[in-house]
Amino acid sequence: MVGANSCRIRHALVFFCVIAMGFAPAVQGEEPAQATVSFSNDIVPILTKAGCNVGVCHAKAGNGQNGFQLSLLGFEPQEDYEHLMNEGRGRRLFAGTPDRSLLLQKATGQIPHGGGVRLKADSAEYALLRNWIEQGAPFDTAATPKLVSFEIQPERGSVKPQGEQQLKAVAKYSDGSVRDVTPQALYESNDAAMAEVSPAGLVRVLEISGKVSVMVRYQGRVAVFSAAVPLGAPVDNLPPAKNFIDEHVFSNLKQLGIPPSAVCDDATFLRRVTLDIGGRLPTEEEATAFLADITSDKRDRLIDDLLRSPDYADFFAAKWTTLLKNRRDDASDIVSNFAFHAWVRDSLLANKPYDQFVRELLAATGTVIGNPPVAWYKRVKEPKEQLEDVAQLFLGVRMQCAQCHHHPFERWSQDDYYSLAAFFTQVGRKPSGTRGEDLIFHKRGIATANNMKTGVPLRPAALGDTLPEIAADFDPRLRLADWMSTKDNKFFAKALVNRYWKHFFQRGLIEPEDDIRDSNPPTNPELLAALEQHFIASGFDLKELVRAITRSQAYQLSSVPNAHNLVDRQNYSRYYPRRLQAEVLLDAIDRLTATQTDFQNLPPGTRAVALPDNSYNNSTPFLRVFGRPEGESVCECERVQSSSLSQSLHLINAADIKAKLANGQGRGEKLAKQAGPPEAKVRELYMAAFAREPRADELKTALEYLAEVPLDAAGNPVDAQRASRENFQDLLWALINSKEFLFNH
Amino acid sequence: MIRFHSFRRTLRNVTLFGVACCLLSSMVLAQSVCLPAPRLLTTQPMGGKAGTQFEVTISGEHLEELGDLVFSDSRITAAPKLDAAGKAEPNKYVVSIAADCPLGLHESRVMSRLGLSSSRIFSVGTLAEVSQKLPNQTVATAMDVPVNSVCNATISARAVDHYRFEAKQGQRILVDCATRGIDSKLDAVVIIADAMGRDLLVERRGGALDFKVPADGKYIVKVHELTFKGGQPYYYRLAVQELPPDAPIVRQPSTSIVSSFSWPPTGLPQAAATNESEPNNERQQAQKIALPCDIAGGFFPAADVDVFEFEAKKGEVWWVEVASERLGRPTDPSILVQHVKRNGDQEALTDVAEFSDIPSPVKVSSNGYAYDGPPYNAGTADILGKLTIQEDGLHRLQITDLFGGTRNDPRNVYRLVIRQAAPDFALVAWAQHMELRNGDRNALSKPISLRGGSTMALEVIAIRRDGFDGDIELAMENLPEGMTANGLKIPAGQSRGMMLVTTSANAPRAFASANFFGRAKIGEATVTRPCRLASFAWPIPDSWGEIPSPRLMMDVPVSIGGFDLAPITIGPVNKGVIEAKVGEKLTIPLVQAIRSEFSAATMQLKPIGAGFERAPAFDVSLTADSSQAVLDLAALKTPPGDYLIAFQGNTVAKYRHRLDMVAAAEESRRKAAQEIATLEAEAKKLAEAPVAETAEKKLEAENAVKAVAEKQKVATATLAAAMAELTRATQRAQPTDIVDIVVSEPITIRVKSPESK
Repeated sequence: MVGANSCRIRHALVFFCVIAMGFAPAVQGEEPAQATVSFSNDIVPILTKAGCNVGVCHAKAGNGQNGFQLSLLGFEPQEDYEHLMNEGRGRRLFAGTPDRSLLLQKATGQIPHGGGVRLKADSAEYALLRNWIEQGAPFDTAATPKLVSFEIQPERGSVKPQGEQQLKAVAKYSDGSVRDVTPQALYESNDAAMAEVSPAGLVRVLEISGKVSVMVRYQGRVAVFSAAVPLGAPVDNLPPAKNFIDEHVFSNLKQLGIPPSAVCDDATFLRRVTLDIGGRLPTEEEATAFLADITSDKRDRLIDDLLRSPDYADFFAAKWTTLLKNRRDDASDIVSNFAFHAWVRDSLLANKPYDQFVRELLAATGTVIGNPPVAWYKRVKEPKEQLEDVAQLFLGVRMQCAQCHHHPFERWSQDDYYSLAAFFTQVGRKPSGTRGEDLIFHKRGIATANNMKTGVPLRPAALGDTLPEIAADFDPRLRLADWMSTKDNKFFAKALVNRYWKHFFQRGLIEPEDDIRDSNPPTNPELLAALEQHFIASGFDLKELVRAITRSQAYQLSSVPNAHNLVDRQNYSRYYPRRLQAEVLLDAIDRLTATQTDFQNLPPGTRAVALPDNSYNNSTPFLRVFGRPEGESVCECERVQSSSLSQSLHLINAADIKAKLANGQGRGEKLAKQAGPPEAKVRELYMAAFAREPRADELKTALEYLAEVPLDAAGNPVDAQRASRENFQDLLWALINSKEFLFNH
Repeated sequence: MIRFHSFRRTLRNVTLFGVACCLLSSMVLAQSVCLPAPRLLTTQPMGGKAGTQFEVTISGEHLEELGDLVFSDSRITAAPKLDAAGKAEPNKYVVSIAADCPLGLHESRVMSRLGLSSSRIFSVGTLAEVSQKLPNQTVATAMDVPVNSVCNATISARAVDHYRFEAKQGQRILVDCATRGIDSKLDAVVIIADAMGRDLLVERRGGALDFKVPADGKYIVKVHELTFKGGQPYYYRLAVQELPPDAPIVRQPSTSIVSSFSWPPTGLPQAAATNESEPNNERQQAQKIALPCDIAGGFFPAADVDVFEFEAKKGEVWWVEVASERLGRPTDPSILVQHVKRNGDQEALTDVAEFSDIPSPVKVSSNGYAYDGPPYNAGTADILGKLTIQEDGLHRLQITDLFGGTRNDPRNVYRLVIRQAAPDFALVAWAQHMELRNGDRNALSKPISLRGGSTMALEVIAIRRDGFDGDIELAMENLPEGMTANGLKIPAGQSRGMMLVTTSANAPRAFASANFFGRAKIGEATVTRPCRLASFAWPIPDSWGEIPSPRLMMDVPVSIGGFDLAPITIGPVNKGVIEAKVGEKLTIPLVQAIRSEFSAATMQLKPIGAGFERAPAFDVSLTADSSQAVLDLAALKTPPGDYLIAFQGNTVAKYRHRLDMVAAAEESRRKAAQEIATLEAEAKKLAEAPVAETAEKKLEAENAVKAVAEKQKVATATLAAAMAELTRATQRAQPTDIVDIVVSEPITIRVKSPESK
């Protein structure tokens, strides 16, 4: 659904961009002389550029707009021609008096048009349309040249901030002709904060340095212009590269002239990596020991310790089970949800190779109890859902659009969509003794899926790669898994390393992380390729990938910006702080306050990151407020990481937070009662919250506050015990509400 | 304001709806299913070491006036545990396991007022036995278990039990937790963790943990239920033992699933004649075999395909049977047989046969509200089918596990037998179910423990082998006095019959291990095959929230409580053979002995057995002592012959628990009251007596008054106690609506041809 929504939103964006644009005069390149105007090569591009066939207008699903339907972005010229010629009671085109054609009158606003004025009557496009109608509005003949390729010139370049670059769109046809279609092409920047592009293909770069790209589309073809926007600052003091990641990150920074921040201190690293790998705060003991450790490899050893710990498995299981829709819609889902979560968690704990993990999921058979990945087939029942989820989650490709029409930003056709669906058409189901659960098995037969539009049955094919014929006895899902884990697969490893990169750096090398396509290039292609190769060479070893990432200096850079890199959001010149995820934050507050959130029917002490499904969101408002997802989609975007007023209010004043602060067994109460110097108590709090000692000014402020005697409602000083209790609760409250606590930085 | 009111109105509607729902549910709950049956639910411990004696505590449902604790093997015996005063302690026994007792699983049952209870598995092993010491739910409180011991334990809700063992680097430790296989409800998660409690190895699918100790030290074993449920039914036996490096893993024994009754075929050798030989996944690697064959193989590694080739001639008929699920493996074997025509390197393949499941011969209940079939599945994912060769030449057989695409488990073995027709049958039986109340499976954990004057129906299902389609007669022998059993045969070509177990009203209290079998004529020989008994391990009030786990019993225990009588007994007036001619309307006078009130005035009965199921249902009165059944032999087209039938229905009895206790309490109250009256009279007499003249007499009179007063005090207390007991007994004896099956005594009918006299 998210994918489909995203698709619609993008269509809408295209539409509004087009509305905002005027039309540049047609520029003819080396155009051959044409006796007649070609519907496909001349007319459809005009309709597309004018925005007539976007998803919110005449290409709207169903019946188009006001009975006039066009195919999305002109992908189906034959159909468009028939709609123009044969519908609308013949009023759309009048060969005798072309200007009275409804098409021209509506487009120019001579008669009311819901879409407004799309063409000027004195434009070259109007003239071409008129000419075509006058010629009798012919459709293409066999001799009409076909578009065979499309490119943008230049493909890449370096553009200074505030600089401009004119693009040239070139179409090549089957008869060898070449046309400059710059005015007819559609342009879209992948980052409006970095670059704008005019309808005529003029790119204007703004202030932010980095990599930006412009997607250019013409008649179902896509080309991309990639620009480096250098800052040009001196990059002199790079930390020594620890691995290939550093080489590529620092090389990119050098190219762009963005100096990175310094490597972070030990306390920051300890807290950061413990949160990122284990989903928890370091304990005071861990912090004390790590800060006191003077060995040079202590960071590497810490990473290894964390990867060995079940915390890693718990934290990443929470990530994967959400994406795999392990949601509880019925009380009876509990067994399958727990079993599925446990399977994911145990697989991660055992460091099952990622390709094996995906294989076991994709080709699961049997019962949920006997083989828990079968639970995925309980959640995701139809082949369409299965292919869409698999493509988005494991291949980073959003196929939803291609179900109904050619993908507007990609090369995927409906044949590609249904060929992928065909892998899942032989999934057999038998009833089991458990309500709502089926036994899953491979149903013997030749797998095919019918293209919804053409009705043609299609054999399994994987995103353009044709596979050898799959025998009736063989489970096609195993072939799909085989294909994924081949070393030269263009999607599988890439999608995973990009997803994990984002986990640790807050921004994928491709954004969104599950929208990998030619028209959405990575910000650092060399780094992405190197990560991919490293991951494949390691045998799809997830822990090794995490190890490589977290060992890099790039990961260990400080989040504190220097004079140049504050605005950098994509080149990893510093660590980008991130608010702790809902579960991690709740666990962190529990740990700091030495309390325990109680989850229904789970053992006391269960951490929020170890919750098996979404059902606890209802009973724990904290998780909802801080955006714990419900497992409804395969998109990481379902997790809400943005800030909100309700979050602030919750932390400031919610009953559960207050109860934790005032808990009789909690840290506040313990410190209030405990003998000993207040300095040590403040130190304990800072070590617990931030994994560091308090600075002198912080210590001074805290001690002064602890020495204060609050007044009661009548204005009288409260007794010493109450004063101590309230002061420690206040101090805890202040620490919880600090950005340093709330963020991983 | 409008919105506020609207909100309030909605709230009120919601509240009303909630109240209505509560009422509805309480009405539904008001009627329970199945008259009280004695059920042994737990023994603690759940087993012991051969050659030892130890104390066992039992618990269960409807267990009153307990007698012997008995086992399916006579080498396990039990005596009541006596306290210091020599009095038996409630629910405690001292169990002795003889040194020569077979290792493995046995059934334990306890004799109670209502008869012999349902069964609970009792394990006999060789490891030292220990019992859980609470608390052990944290690393800090982990219980030490010695290596090579088995711990008997019960898990609590929301708990993770912790154990600690010590081992040396390089040692091989097997941690194996027996749960479902010993009748527990526990879906165990077993984890080996380091001494700090950090997980190292996890098993959640009922497997064992084979742990190679990485360093000298202590290790933690954690056990919890998959969804953290717990309580008495969630018990387990955790075995921690050292294994030699190359020793095969031998798991703790486990009960058999219901469908395994049909394996093995009679006379099959213990070991297969041939072993599958890998690699044989591709046609080029096909393993050559000759028919008949008996092959042991495995679905390993993942997506394993085993290909065999054999020569056969057109017209040959073979029977193909595979066991894998019936060996206890979670597999779904599938076979494809193709004819291969070679032309150089080219092959033309023709499908000859495909084999997959052995379907249940009768429709199994779907998981709806009401049963639409028996809730037991006699079918299996294994294979039994006929292979007819269509063309001379080479044939290729490939066998795969439809569940095995990604699973790498060498334990997933199979046995493939291809034989010439050896007609035969296998039988399984279970207590008859009611069509109502799928949600309440109490009625399915039903021991064959009968009240006096009752008949219990068992549904008997046959899996027929290799084309056998003759009649199967059913019989039960070795029954206690006062109990009879009558089989409603499985007719030729069909798969379902019934066994009716009947007790006379005056049958004495007794139990026995019966011999339940089917007999058929196959060819010229009369063969006898055992009928296995299946039962649910637990009464399950909510089948939607809990997956039932039926299993096969190891024996067929039958018993008579000897105290309670059936609420109603229906039988023919004429206990002999009732005769009629073909095409007649046969009237069968019935007599009813009614011992309870019922919620309805009539009960609907339907005939069962011998094709008479097609006859329409009819009503009988639940207040009168007689009725009649009329069978239209013309409509039923009943040919001449002897038939055994019965009538079956459901009715809701106003069940009253232990009226004898009410009577006893009333008698106690009466006696106490009488005693008080007597004492009062005596006191009055003493009070009215003339004042004694002498001091001695006066003292004597005063003592007499005191003595009577003392007796009055005791009698008053006795009366109070009797009143309290009467109140309790009366309360417990309040009528409760319980629906149960009513089956008539069997009726023998002889249908004669019109010409006969």
